[in-house]
Amino acid sequence: MMDQPSILIIDENHARAAIIQDGLREAGHADVRWLSETGNLLKQIAEIDPDIIVIDLESPNRDVLEQMFQVSRLVKRPVAMFVDQSDSASIREAMMAGVSAYVVDGLRKDRVKHILDMCVQRFDVFSRLTEELHEAKTALADRKVIERAKGILMAAKSLSEQEAYVLMRKTAMDQKRRLVEIARAIVMAETMLK
Amino acid sequence: MTRNIRIGFIPLIDAAIPIAARECGFAEREGLQIDLVRETSWANIRDKLIHGLFDASHMLAPLAVATSLGVGNAKVPLAVPFGLNANGNCITLAARLYREVEEILGHPPQDPRQSAQALKRIIDRRKISGDPPITFGVVFAFSVHAIIVRHWLRLGGIDPFNDVQFQVVPPPFMVARLAEGEIEGCCVGEPWNSRAVESGVGSIVVFGSEISRCAPDKVLALRDETVTKDSESIHRLLRAYQAAARWCQDPGNHANLAHMLAQPEYLNVAPKTVLNALCGTLAVNRTESRSAADFLAFQGGDINWPDPRKARWLYAEIATGLRQTLDEAQAQAAAAVFRPDVFDAATGNNALPEAVDPIGLRFGPAFDAANLKAYADALTRG
Repeated sequence: MMDQPSILIIDENHARAAIIQDGLREAGHADVRWLSETGNLLKQIAEIDPDIIVIDLESPNRDVLEQMFQVSRLVKRPVAMFVDQSDSASIREAMMAGVSAYVVDGLRKDRVKHILDMCVQRFDVFSRLTEELHEAKTALADRKVIERAKGILMAAKSLSEQEAYVLMRKTAMDQKRRLVEIARAIVMAETMLK
Repeated sequence: MTRNIRIGFIPLIDAAIPIAARECGFAEREGLQIDLVRETSWANIRDKLIHGLFDASHMLAPLAVATSLGVGNAKVPLAVPFGLNANGNCITLAARLYREVEEILGHPPQDPRQSAQALKRIIDRRKISGDPPITFGVVFAFSVHAIIVRHWLRLGGIDPFNDVQFQVVPPPFMVARLAEGEIEGCCVGEPWNSRAVESGVGSIVVFGSEISRCAPDKVLALRDETVTKDSESIHRLLRAYQAAARWCQDPGNHANLAHMLAQPEYLNVAPKTVLNALCGTLAVNRTESRSAADFLAFQGGDINWPDPRKARWLYAEIATGLRQTLDEAQAQAAAAVFRPDVFDAATGNNALPEAVDPIGLRFGPAFDAANLKAYADALTRG
């Protein structure tokens, strides 16, 4: 078997695919390719002729791939990593991270595990990044609403900025609600009363 | 004590029983809390079930048999203690191909044999002119959809292995592939056929129920070990499913069921679309509708009782589909996947199925579970 297995990543998400590719290259895998175009999958896979295919579990194209492997004589027949039950823990881990792999028979097991572990790690990194980005976006949006509500209170009740803020925070604490919820209510009331 | 059960499903109308078991309180009454997890592919459903991320799954009946036998991408023994539905699929042709069939017949296609014979003439013409073969989209390699298309093609004397090609297409992409011309026909469940008709991309030529009376479509699948390790919970689940099946089958509940399934966390479609399929009345082309009382059935006859003869039929179809010779040991292994003993123990059933032929093909060879070879020979002889 080849020293450098060729790895194909099938993922619709460009950013995630880039993160995985980088990770694999850093780990010394030179032959890493990526497909996002789903049309004519078989022809593209046949051209690349990979030893291991990594696919995102959210992709409905997994079912398409499975049939291709079943009937096609164009590609070497990769089998799902799930055929071998001996390493169920790492398979579960991969599935929970959202990744699955198909491996051409004959590839050394430790090598496959190394590649898969790397992909799982990178999938997790990506999920964390997406979460952080989402949190940052929400925080920014919340701050904007709070600023606007403060302005509304200042104008309506002739309060200072500090007083408006204290009033909102006290209301939030009394009602056991989040500050941003109170701010949203103020903004909404203002729009309706306009 | 309430027991949690995690169940994977694909957003399709035939996931009605697990969804209703949860939503209508049938599971709760049995002391079960059902967590439903929506999935995007049958491969995910299979893998998450066999590796214990799910306790149970909504599954294509042929996939449960194939996985147990190790045909395809995994070999893990599964158990099927409950059938979820019979039929509910259609064969749809791309607009241009449908028009050609219509021209040959002189009227819109109705009888499945006539429409298949017309298709045969089109295929012959194309062979002479050197045009590429017709490709059919099906939802999975091991699916009753693929089986139904093969049966329909054979009615017209078409060889499903040499005269046409098959391609797996996930249901949400089916209409787009028809429109692009990558496939010219497909077999899929609702709402995807109706979507093709509404958008003018295709027309329905055959209802699955016009090919077979009660071919098993989706089933409840478990890991085989679960049946022994956790039989009490499984019995409760089967009783909840039985109550849900009765409720789903009752036409008086169809409007409620349509709204339930249409919700964003389940199918995320218009309730009307779901209701049409439940009532079995679909627009088949731009101007005509067709009705079939048995278009989609959740209960009645022997739909829920997991008849091992049906598993033998599935094995015969899988093997002939792969052009393999039948093997009696494999057929017995397939039959053992369907578990009427578990169904009977859970529900107190002691009746045996009435039907002599558990599949009820409307054309072609009668299915005799005791003589698979004769069936397979008759199939391939055409």
